[in-house]
Amino acid sequence: MEAIYQYAWLIPVLPLVGAMLVGLGLISLNRATNHLRSLNAVLIISLLGISMGLSLALLWSQIQGHAPYTRTLEWAAAGNFHLSMGYTIDHLTALMLAIVTTVALLVMVYTDGYMAHDPGYVRFYAYLSLFSSSMLGLVVSPNLVQIYIFWELVGMCSYLLVGFWYDRKAAADAAQKAFVVNRVGDFGLLLGILGLYWATGSFEFEVIGDRLQSLVQSGALASGFAVLFAVLVFLGPVAKSAQFPLHVWLPDAMEGPTPISALIHAATMVAAGVFLIARMYPVFEDVPAAMNVIAFTGAFTAFLGATIAITQNDIKKGLAYSTISQLGYMVMAMGVGAYTAGLFHLMTHAYFKAMLFLCSGSVIHGMESVVGHDPALAQNMQLMGGLRKYMPATAITFLIGTLAISGIPPFAGFWSKDEILGSTFAVNPVLWGVGWLTAGITAFYMFRMYFLTFEGKFRGNEISIRHQLKAAAHGLTEELEPATAFGPGAMDKRELAATAHKTHGHSEHPHESPWTMTLPLVLLAIPSVLIGFVGTPFANYFEAFIYPPGETVMELASQAESFDLKEFLIMGGSSVGIALIGITLASLMYLGHTINPAAIAAKIEPLYQLSLHKWYFDEIYHQVFVLGIRRLARQVMEVDFRVVDGAVNLTGFFTLVSGEGLKYIENGRAQFYALIVFGAVLALVIVFGVT
Amino acid sequence: MANFPWLTTIILFPIVAALLIPLPFFPDKDGRTVRWYALAVGLIDFALIVYAFYTQYDFDQSGLQLVESYSWIPQLDLKWSVGADGVSMPLIILTGFITTLAILAAWPVTLKPKLFYFLMLAMYGGQIAVFAVQDMLVFFLAWELELVPVYFLLSIWGGKKRQYAATKFILYTAGGSLFILVAALMMAFYGDTVTFDMRAIADKDYALNFQLWVYAGFLISYGVKLPIFPLHTWLPDAHGEATAPVHMLLAGILLKMGGYALIRMNAGMLPDAHAYFAPVLVILGIVNIIYAALTSFAQRNLKRKIAYSSISHMGFVLIGIASFTDLGLSGAVLQMVSHGLIGASLFFLVGATYDRTHTLMLDEMGGVGQKMGKIFAMFTTCSLASLALPGMSGFVAELMVFVGFSNSDAYNPTFKLIVVLLMAVGVILTPIYLLSMLREIFYGAENKQLTSHEALVDAEPREVFIIACLLVPIIGIGLYPKLLTQVYDSTTLQLTARLRDSVPALASRRQVPTVSFQAPELSARQQG
Repeated sequence: MEAIYQYAWLIPVLPLVGAMLVGLGLISLNRATNHLRSLNAVLIISLLGISMGLSLALLWSQIQGHAPYTRTLEWAAAGNFHLSMGYTIDHLTALMLAIVTTVALLVMVYTDGYMAHDPGYVRFYAYLSLFSSSMLGLVVSPNLVQIYIFWELVGMCSYLLVGFWYDRKAAADAAQKAFVVNRVGDFGLLLGILGLYWATGSFEFEVIGDRLQSLVQSGALASGFAVLFAVLVFLGPVAKSAQFPLHVWLPDAMEGPTPISALIHAATMVAAGVFLIARMYPVFEDVPAAMNVIAFTGAFTAFLGATIAITQNDIKKGLAYSTISQLGYMVMAMGVGAYTAGLFHLMTHAYFKAMLFLCSGSVIHGMESVVGHDPALAQNMQLMGGLRKYMPATAITFLIGTLAISGIPPFAGFWSKDEILGSTFAVNPVLWGVGWLTAGITAFYMFRMYFLTFEGKFRGNEISIRHQLKAAAHGLTEELEPATAFGPGAMDKRELAATAHKTHGHSEHPHESPWTMTLPLVLLAIPSVLIGFVGTPFANYFEAFIYPPGETVMELASQAESFDLKEFLIMGGSSVGIALIGITLASLMYLGHTINPAAIAAKIEPLYQLSLHKWYFDEIYHQVFVLGIRRLARQVMEVDFRVVDGAVNLTGFFTLVSGEGLKYIENGRAQFYALIVFGAVLALVIVFGVT
Repeated sequence: MANFPWLTTIILFPIVAALLIPLPFFPDKDGRTVRWYALAVGLIDFALIVYAFYTQYDFDQSGLQLVESYSWIPQLDLKWSVGADGVSMPLIILTGFITTLAILAAWPVTLKPKLFYFLMLAMYGGQIAVFAVQDMLVFFLAWELELVPVYFLLSIWGGKKRQYAATKFILYTAGGSLFILVAALMMAFYGDTVTFDMRAIADKDYALNFQLWVYAGFLISYGVKLPIFPLHTWLPDAHGEATAPVHMLLAGILLKMGGYALIRMNAGMLPDAHAYFAPVLVILGIVNIIYAALTSFAQRNLKRKIAYSSISHMGFVLIGIASFTDLGLSGAVLQMVSHGLIGASLFFLVGATYDRTHTLMLDEMGGVGQKMGKIFAMFTTCSLASLALPGMSGFVAELMVFVGFSNSDAYNPTFKLIVVLLMAVGVILTPIYLLSMLREIFYGAENKQLTSHEALVDAEPREVFIIACLLVPIIGIGLYPKLLTQVYDSTTLQLTARLRDSVPALASRRQVPTVSFQAPELSARQQG
């Protein structure tokens, strides 16, 4: 058993090797590498497969009760400063390794079908492998600095993958936005790490927690500092896990190919924020103010995401806001101290949300054969409908995912969400109220999505809707981005329209996706249904495995005995109840058409507009930050040019050049002038030297 | 071999080789031979550098090594003395590396090739001399001498405004170096003995007032070179007009002379004044980081944009030097080497892009990524390196400066808090301008206006090779920083100790009171 621990470093290294091999091939032998499509894919998938095998073995060994294992190597040193890097395997790491490798593997298999016709197929696999490597490196990190390193690396992979279709302007903007917004979070994380190191002299989670607590208790450190540092560290998860107010990058990141949305922007990377809060739990739990900030941020984000998701017509954007909302649940759970529940939801959500995104990819793939490769059309639910007839496997798996996320027993999402709501109620009923309401909205918008996509009749061939959507999409881009930002010629609208017409679909009906795409869906459906059973309140195996670092197994055992059937029925019943209300409303509106949603929207116009415009965050940020920084930068440049450089140009010896010297320059005799200067200096040396 | 004059050979070999070029019998067919000749000389000299340091240099010693000293003009007590310690040695290797690659980067130069390579080789020796000489006057001469080739390289092979840029460069730097001369003479004649030897000068006991004046003089001249706000305006002009190979030298090596001299003279010889000036350096460093990052963001000219990004990165060097900690100073040296590599690679890529698009204005570019996939990939990698992505050298350097400064006991917590906060703002600004730049050059639909009349061919193997050579150390250091830090660690440790001794409040505490991140503690747990 020791051997798998000694070789655990292979888990992140193997995908890295795969990415590097393929990357080198792409740079040096581009054409040949691009031709060997399946060979590259098989290489990368099998390397990740080995990592998955190792991860599952580690998880098994940890469940069997193996002690945590850490191995480090001195990485940087200066004087008495030493910084080590390495890997640590404990319960949390083993769990995350298993989640990341299984989802990543299925997404990679799915990619083969989804990207089959893309010229960037091989490059995409290289990026996927690089991402897997960084994410696995993140979860094995034994200290904060290493977390920060991989934190940035997963951000870079996200940047590369969101901007994968680099000829699309929207993708380019989204990639940059994702990176910069995440850097704002990293700014906080970095400051927090520095502050904690300054206060405690350590980068290790538990050491920091212990020392910080004793420093605050002894009064050596003002408690304000502890709160400040903890909140700064929390800024990192706020950006990475798309929490308010830094959530704005995630919906835009949907410009990336759908497998990425499933892997990075739903299942793994965005969950890294929750993972970091879990890792830093020893620090946070002693700082109640920070815990409150975390809990309220999470609750507000959950509500915010859900309210926006109601009105989205783009299937991926809708799922993106639902991800934001679900991440809010996890963060709220962490904030109220429901450590286990938060991570439990992370796990169940990873599987069912990855499946939902892959389903949406399958839908888009099918739609593209009808409406062409225009994301404004292929992803729009107004053009879908009735897809269940054409894509049965996708429809059934999507329905399973919808039931799971809506919290209907016995699907996975019910158990984890119920545990979060139950623990929240015990701490703060207000937060519970927000979460409970959000659960209802979640059920509503998810079923709205399901009905619009898979039920009713197919609307993909209605030319009038298409034209309307196309006009809206292009009108929107024009309105948001001034054409000058991009260079002349690039934004010629007539060209855009012409190319769009050419790529018109070739089929009347969408078709079911190839088996490489449906197989991962079916495989992901299994955990989406069943995995909740590891954490039921009456037999919580999950809690026996994942518990806060400070607690012991004994305490847990006593807690587990206190299972109260009545309480469970009330809590579970109320959340299922509101979910059912949501589902009923959705089916009345979008399945039976007995209630007209447009009429309701017209009645509450301001609220409808608020939701449709995503609470106007993008507009406000654009005005305040984007334009603000641009204006500031331009002013600084003006100062540099006119004041600083101007002063230089005015100084004495410059007038010499512009007056007398200019003649020499124009005669091409500046060299001569330079020699004079040099000669004069040299003479000065000798004169000074002699005297 | 221990007595072989390694450093003198390394300095003189390229210069002598350069002097052979103008000879009439030198074979030359349209500049095809001379570039092979120059490349061979560069490679041999680089091999000599590596061999000399590999066999003769001991990492554990903090003082000067490979020392040679010959009397040159006895009447002036002028000595040719050279040596290398932990601060100069990495920079000498960097010089050999970058200059050789710059010669390779200059492959397509067709205008006056003989003169061009003559100047490049002269630069080669001159730059190493600046880092190696141990005599104040010779240092000054080498400092001045290396300006002349740069001047010609700028004024003959530069862009449209090359005369203006070259003149501005020479006036700025020559004007700045007058301060070096005056300060050096003042120090040489101070006290009873007259000496130009750097070690002897460093050992003199100067009055504080005197130190402050000399320090200010040095700061101005090295501030021009580094550059430090507000003495930086020659740099965007010079960089904006230079061709790619000259660019690589300017950004890769010439800027580092300023940092090197600040460490060697300001910090090393005038520690008491350094204690007074350190907060000023910190504030100037912050201004450099933020001011230049904002200016870079507003620039529409690609070369000027990268030029300002260089200024921004040099701010970290200043803060590291002023941190009074081992880690901060170590980070400053690492940042110089790292920026030498990253800056050179970025400027080379800018040149390669310009060769294809024939414009430097971002407004006229756009969507070239589809035609130039390899350049796109390399440009992205180097930009990510420049914005301090972990796994690359820039990150380690900035992190060391960050941790070093925030744990410095020389400043009060409020000051530190503000400075660290502002430094971190720079961390947000850097990706904004670099990624916007990438987006505007490569992303988006193809720019028909540009592709219709410019042939956008992808990178040739020579260009890929140059970038690969630069990326190997960038990533190597990024993955395992001890590769480089262990080389100079003993020297920076000793220097920090000296600096700390000069601050009365710190002298009592010999060691930085940080609870170190103990490796043994971890290895003990590993058995569990």
